Amino acid sequence: MSKYLNIALALGSSIILFSSCEKFLDTAPQGKYTEDNYPYPEGGSTYDQYIFPAYNDLRSYSVHVDGFVNATSIRSDDADKGSTASDGGADVIAMDNFPVLPSSGRANSLWLGYYGLINKTNRAIHLMDSVQNPNQDEAMKIQTEAEAKFIRGYSYFMLVRLFGSVPKFDKWFEDPASQNNIPQSTAGEIYAFIEEDLKFAAQNLPDVWDRQYIGRATKGAANGILAKVYLTQKKWQPAYDAANMVRGSGLYDLSQSYAEIFSEKGENGKESVFEIQGTASADQQTANGIQYANLQGVRGSGNWNLGWGWNVPSPVLEAAYEAGDPRKARTILYSSTTATKHFSLFNEQMPVYPSEVPNPMYNHKVLSDPALRNSISRGSWWMNIRILRYADIVLMMSEAANELGRTDEARTLLNEVRERARRGAATGVLPNVTNTDQAGLRDKIRHERRIELAMEHDRFFDLVRWGTAQTALHAAGKTNFQNSRDVLLPIPQAQIDITKGVLKQNPGY
Amino acid sequence: MKHLYVFLCFVFSANLLFAQSTISGTVKDSQSANVIPGVTVILKGKGASTQTDAAGRFTLTASPTDSLTFTFIGYVSRTLPVGDQTFFNISLQSSDQSLEEVVVVGYGTQRKIDLTGAIAQVKGEEIANMPNANPISSLQGKVAGLTISNSGTPGGAPTVRIRGINSTNNSNPLYVVDGVLHDNIDFISPQDIETIDVLRDPSSIAIYGLRGASGVIAVTLKKAARGRTAINFTGSVGVNKVNDRIELVDAAGFKELYDRQLVNLGKAPFDYSKYTANTDWQDLVLRSAFNSNNNLSISNSGEKSSTQFSLGHSKQEGVVRNGDYERFTARLNQEIKVSERIRVGGEIAGSYWKMKPTNASLTNALWAAPIVDVQYDERTYYAMPSFQRAQVGNPIASLNRMDGTSLQRGYRFVGSLFGEIKILDNLTWKSTVYTDLGFNNSRGYSPLATRFIYLGENGGADSFFQDDRVYTSVNQAAQEYRRFQQDHTLTWEQSFNEDHRLTGVAGFTTVYNDNTGISGTRRDTTLNVPNDPNFWYWDIINENSNPKGDYAGNGSKNSVVGLFARANYAFKNKYLVNATIRRDGSSKFAPKNRWGTFGSVGLGWVVSEEEFFKSIEKINFMKLRFAWGKIGNSNGVADNVYLPGLTNGATAIFGDNIYSSVAPAYIPDPNLHWEVVNGMDLGLELKAFNSKLSAEVNLYDRTTSDILTSLTLPSLQTSYFTNLGKITNRGIEVTLGWNNQVNDFSYGINANYSYNKNFVNSIGDKIDFKITGNEGANVTETGKSIGYFYGYKQVGIYQTLADLDKMPKFADSAPGDIAFADINGDGKIGPEDRTYLGTPFPPHNFGINLSFGYKNFDLQVEGHGVAGNKIYAQRRTRNFADLNYEANRLDAWTAPGTSNVEPILDNSRGNNYQFSSYFLEPGDFFRIRTLQLGYSFGDALLEKSIIRKARVFVSAQNLKTWSKVTGYTPEAAISSIIAGGTDNATYPLPATYTFGVNLSF
Repeated sequence: MSKYLNIALALGSSIILFSSCEKFLDTAPQGKYTEDNYPYPEGGSTYDQYIFPAYNDLRSYSVHVDGFVNATSIRSDDADKGSTASDGGADVIAMDNFPVLPSSGRANSLWLGYYGLINKTNRAIHLMDSVQNPNQDEAMKIQTEAEAKFIRGYSYFMLVRLFGSVPKFDKWFEDPASQNNIPQSTAGEIYAFIEEDLKFAAQNLPDVWDRQYIGRATKGAANGILAKVYLTQKKWQPAYDAANMVRGSGLYDLSQSYAEIFSEKGENGKESVFEIQGTASADQQTANGIQYANLQGVRGSGNWNLGWGWNVPSPVLEAAYEAGDPRKARTILYSSTTATKHFSLFNEQMPVYPSEVPNPMYNHKVLSDPALRNSISRGSWWMNIRILRYADIVLMMSEAANELGRTDEARTLLNEVRERARRGAATGVLPNVTNTDQAGLRDKIRHERRIELAMEHDRFFDLVRWGTAQTALHAAGKTNFQNSRDVLLPIPQAQIDITKGVLKQNPGY
Repeated sequence: MKHLYVFLCFVFSANLLFAQSTISGTVKDSQSANVIPGVTVILKGKGASTQTDAAGRFTLTASPTDSLTFTFIGYVSRTLPVGDQTFFNISLQSSDQSLEEVVVVGYGTQRKIDLTGAIAQVKGEEIANMPNANPISSLQGKVAGLTISNSGTPGGAPTVRIRGINSTNNSNPLYVVDGVLHDNIDFISPQDIETIDVLRDPSSIAIYGLRGASGVIAVTLKKAARGRTAINFTGSVGVNKVNDRIELVDAAGFKELYDRQLVNLGKAPFDYSKYTANTDWQDLVLRSAFNSNNNLSISNSGEKSSTQFSLGHSKQEGVVRNGDYERFTARLNQEIKVSERIRVGGEIAGSYWKMKPTNASLTNALWAAPIVDVQYDERTYYAMPSFQRAQVGNPIASLNRMDGTSLQRGYRFVGSLFGEIKILDNLTWKSTVYTDLGFNNSRGYSPLATRFIYLGENGGADSFFQDDRVYTSVNQAAQEYRRFQQDHTLTWEQSFNEDHRLTGVAGFTTVYNDNTGISGTRRDTTLNVPNDPNFWYWDIINENSNPKGDYAGNGSKNSVVGLFARANYAFKNKYLVNATIRRDGSSKFAPKNRWGTFGSVGLGWVVSEEEFFKSIEKINFMKLRFAWGKIGNSNGVADNVYLPGLTNGATAIFGDNIYSSVAPAYIPDPNLHWEVVNGMDLGLELKAFNSKLSAEVNLYDRTTSDILTSLTLPSLQTSYFTNLGKITNRGIEVTLGWNNQVNDFSYGINANYSYNKNFVNSIGDKIDFKITGNEGANVTETGKSIGYFYGYKQVGIYQTLADLDKMPKFADSAPGDIAFADINGDGKIGPEDRTYLGTPFPPHNFGINLSFGYKNFDLQVEGHGVAGNKIYAQRRTRNFADLNYEANRLDAWTAPGTSNVEPILDNSRGNNYQFSSYFLEPGDFFRIRTLQLGYSFGDALLEKSIIRKARVFVSAQNLKTWSKVTGYTPEAAISSIIAGGTDNATYPLPATYTFGVNLSF
C-alpha cells in the first residue's frame, strides 16, 4: 500500500511543481530598466528623455572628434595631420594626403556616428508618436520633435557633404533587420529632406532656453544651419533670408572679442549660435566631455602632454594672414625654437621644436585654461566645439548678398567682421575692405571667411562649394587631390559589404 | 518476482540450518597467474564482504549454502557456491573492459555496448598526471570530433568545440559534473576525476534539452571503491618555458628599418644619439615559471556507507611576468545505505583560488623600440622615444608600477544531496538537489605615477617628469553567483524472459541562476595611500575630504524548467532502441516563445551477436548505430533580451549641467525563440583480433536553424539579437586503436582523426545583408563556411613602374606595394577583387597516442595537430605609430628584385594594410603534446612498506611544435565565431617540464 502512497505523493508533488513553472520562469531583468518600466518623469520633460540620447551622441568620438577633425580640417589646405611622421598610420595620413581608401576607419566611423544620431532622432520621434503620455503637452511635444529634426537635419547635412548620396532613413523601422538595408538617395533628395527638417525646427524651436539648458538647439541654430545648407546649394536668396532671421533676432552680436570666443569663459556667449557642450571635473574627467581638444592638444611631454598634436595649422594658412592680424596669434600656437621663445595666450612658455615637441605649430583655439588643466586634467575634455557662431552668420549673409549683386550690403557686413577682428590692434591693421566689384569682393569675402573661421571645420566644405578645392590643395602641396574623386569621402567599404552592395561607391574610388 | 521471494526465503531459512565456518583462498589472474590484490569478495545476499590482500589472499566466515562473488575492475565477475570447500583457488578472467564500461547518458548511465549514440570516454588516469590545472586542457587530441584550443594564461580555460561551430553566437559545450550543469569546471582537481564522457551526437545530448546542443562533457568524479580503505597521492612539480617566441628585430635592425621608413616618408632622420641601448623587451616580460599539482585522496567503503575525501593544490605561475594562479580544492562524497531500498548521499566540493593577474603587456613589449634602456636609476625609467611615446609605454616601468597591486580570490562550493528509493524492485525514484555558490572578491591599488626620464632628441636636454596629477586609489569588488538545481527521476528497469531489456526514465528538473556584483574605486587626492595591501580598502580614504569615487553594481537572473523521458530497449543484446523526449521552458524568452519540445531516436544493431556472424572469429564485436535528434539551444542568449532594454549611461550636457538619459541598449526582437539543432549520426564500432584492434567510425550531419545571432544592422551601431538562418556541420570521426601485450612488453597505438565541414545554408530570409567581423576580415554569408576570411590575395610586389603599367593595380599603387590578384579580371584592383582566403576554424583535427610498458617502465607519447585553417597575424597590421618590427620586415622591399613578399617600409601606403593573404599564415601544426616516462616500483621493494603502489615520472608537455605560425602558439583563437582566427599576440602556451609521483597506500 505504501508503495502506491509513495507514487501518489510523487505525482502530487510533481503537479504542484509544474503549476508553479510559469511563475518560476518569469524572471525580471536585474538592475536594468526596460522601455515599459522606466520611470519617465511626468510632464514635458518626458520628451527630454527621448531626445537627450541624441545630445549625448553629439559629443561622441565618431561624431565630433576624430573623423570630424580629419575630414573637415586635416583634409583642407589650412591644416596638416601634425604629430610625428607616422602617428595615426595610413588611415590618418590618407586624410592629409589623399586618396582616402574605402577601407578608411575614419570614414566608417563618421558614417556610423551620424547615422547613430539619425537613428536616435528617428526613435525619439517614434516614441513621441507611439507612447501615450497622460500629461501630454502638445506644444512641448512639437518643440522636442523640432529638436530631433534639427539634429537629424544637421546630421544629414554633414553626411551629404562628406559622402554625397547617402541612404535616407526618415523613420524608425519596426523591423530593422528587413527594413534597414535601403539604397542611397541623391544628394538633391537629401538636401530637400534637410531643408524640410530644418525649416520645421526653425519654426518650432524656442529662441532661447533657460540658463540650465544653455546650448540646446534654438531657432537661431536651425536658421543658421539652414542658411549654410542653402549657401552650399548656391540658393543665395534663401541663404540670405535664413541668415537674416538669425541676425534679425537680435540675440547675437559681435561683442565678444576674438580671443575670448574660444576660451572657457567665452562658451555660449553672444557669439555662439550652436555649440557642442562638454564638461569635466576632477572626478569625471572624460565621461561628460569631448575629446576634441585632446586630439589637437600640444604633443609634448610632462606638463606639455596635452594631447595627440593632430590638426596643426599649415604653412599656407600661416602665410594667408594679413600683416598684424591679431587673429593669427589666437589661431596658431607657435612652439618655441632654440632661437626664439614663444608663449601661449596664457603666457606659458612653449616647449621647443623639434627637441621637445614634433611640430612647430598647434591649434591655439583649443588651448584650455592652465588653471583648469591643473585642477582637472591635461586632456581638456571640457572644451566645447563651436559649430556655428555669429561671425559665420554675418559672413554667410555677406557672401549671399554679394552673389545676389548687393555688393554694398555685402561689403558692409564683411567689414563688421573685420572691425571686430582689429579691435585692440595697431592702427592700420585690417582696414575696411573697399571693393565695389562683385568678383573682387567675392575674393575678399572668401579670404575673410578663411581667416575668421580658420581651423573651425568649414574650410574644406567651402573650397568644395566654391569649386576651388583642387587649386587650393595643390597649392598647399596636397597634390594627390583630384576634384573628380576627393571632394567626397569614399562610401565606407564596410558599409557596402554589410549591405551586400546595395550601397554604391562614389566616383573615382 | 515471486521466484525471487521464494529464493530469498530459502536463503534466509537455510542460514538458520547450516553452521558457519571460516573459508579462505587466493585470487589470481587467469592468464598471467599473478595474484590480484584488492579483489572484492562478497558473500552474496548477506552483505558481508572483504578484499584480497597484497598476496591475493582473503578470509571470510560463510555457510556452505552461501555464494561468493568476486569482483574487480577489469575482470569478469565470478560467483560460485561455497559448499563444503574451505579453500578456494580462484582465477579471474580479465574482461574486455570496454564492453563493460558504463557511460553517462544524462540522468542515468548506460553500458557502452548498449549505446546508440556517439559517446567517447576518457579515463581519469589519462589526465591525472598532466600538469594542467584545468582537466579539460588534457583532453586535447584524445577524442575525435573534439577541438580544444588551450590557453597559456594561469588559471585560463581552454576553448572547446564539439563537432564544429553550430551557432554564430555561442558554441561552448555543456559540462555536467555528477549531474550538475556547469559552464566550466575549473573548480575540479583533475585527480578527482574517474571518467570524462564526451557526448557528441544528438541522441545522446537530447536529454539535456536546451543546454546541450553544442555537445556535452560529462564528468564523473571518483567514488569510494567498495570494501577497502585507500589513500592515493599524486604530486608533480615543474617549470614552464616559452620555447617559441615572436622574432623581433634588435636595436640595430630597428634603426635600419626605421631609417628606411623615414626616408620613404620623406621625413628627416631620427636622432638616435641618446638611444644607444639594445633591449629585448620580450625577454624581459617573459620568464620561466614554476608549476605544481598535488592531490591526496582517502576513500573508505563499508557495508552501509562509503566515503571519499580528497584535497588538491595547484599552483601555476604565468610565463608572462608576474601573474600566478593558485587553487585549493577539497571534496567530500558520502553515501549511506539506509536500507536495502533506500540510499541517500551527498557531496560537497569546495575550491578556493587566488590569483595575481599579469601586469606586463605582451603587445607593449612587442611594440617597444629596442633602442631604449630600461631604467635610469632605482626610481626612474626611460620614456619611449617621441615617435611612439603616446602609444607605447616602457613595458617594465608599467609592470613594476602595477606589480602585485591586484589581489583576487574566489570561493566556490558545489554541493548536492540525493535520496533514492526503490519503490518497487524495478522502479526507483531519485531526487537530487544541487547548489553551486561562487564568491569572487578582489582588492587593488593604483600607485603614484612612475618617474620618467625623457631623453633629449635633436639636441634637446634630458628632462625628468613624474605626473603629479596621478593620485593613489584603492578598489574593491565582490561578485556572488548562486545556482540551484533540482532533478527528480523515476527509473523503471524490466527484463522479460532473457531477451527483452527495457529501461525507462522520466523526470523533472529546474535550474535557477542568480548573480550579483558590486565594485568601486575611491581616490585620495590629499594623501598618498601606501603601497601595502593592508591599506587597500575603501575606508582608508576619508570619504568626506575626497571625491566620492566610482561605484557600480549589477545582477542577473534566469531559470529553466525541463520535463523529460527516455526509453532504452534491447532485444537479445542485438537490437537496440533509444528514444528521448524533452520539453523545456526558459525564462530568457517571452512567455509565448518560452517552451519547446525536443527529442531523439537512436537505433543500434550489434551485428556480432547475429548467428551468421559468429563464424567470423577474428571480429569480436561489431555494432552499427544510427541516431536522429532535434535539440533546442539558447546558449549565449542574454537574459530578457526580448524586452526593450535601456542603458542609462548617456548624459546630455547643457553648459556645465549634466542630465541623465536613457537609450536603447539594443534593438529587441519580441519573437526571439529557440535555436533548433537537427542532427543525424551514423556509427560503426568494431573490435577484432581478440579485441586488440578497436575501431570506431562516425558520420554526422547536423543543421542548426533559427540561429540566435547578435547582428550589426546596416547604418545602426546598436546590436540586434534575433533568429536567422541555417548552418550545417557535416563530418567524419575515425578512432583506431591497437593494444597488445607480448611477455613483459605492452604497447598501445591509438589514433583519431576528424574532419568537419561547415556550411552556412542561409543567413535568413529577412536578412539581405552580410554578417561581418573584425573590420570585415571575417564574413558570414550564405553558401560559405562560417566566419571565413575575406580579402585580397597577394600575388607579389610591384617591382617597377613598368610592372605597374602591366599589372592590375589600385589607382594609387606604387612600386614596393603588395600586388593583389585581379579576381574579377577587370584589369584593376578594387574591393570586388576580394575573395575567399580560408577558414579560421581547423577542419582537420588529429591526435595520436602511443603507450609502451616494459616491466616497470611506462612511456607515453601524445601528439596532436590540426590542418586546413588560417591564422590572421593581425598584430602585424598595426601602424598607428612607429612600433618595433617583426623579423620578417628585414626583408622588406627596397628596390626592384629585393622582395616579392614583403612590401616597402612606409606606413602611409594604406593599400598594404588592407586585409589580405599577406597577413594570413597556415594554421596547420603538429605538436608533441606529451612525453611521459614513468617507473613503477616493484612489489618486492614495496612489500615491507605501507606503500602499495609507487610510481615516479618525468613529463614534458608541448615539447615541440611544427608550424609556420609566427605567433606564440598555432592554436587558433576560435572562441570568437564571426571574428575568429586572429592572433594579436595571444598569451604564449608554454612548454612544461614536470617531475611527479603517484603513491597508493
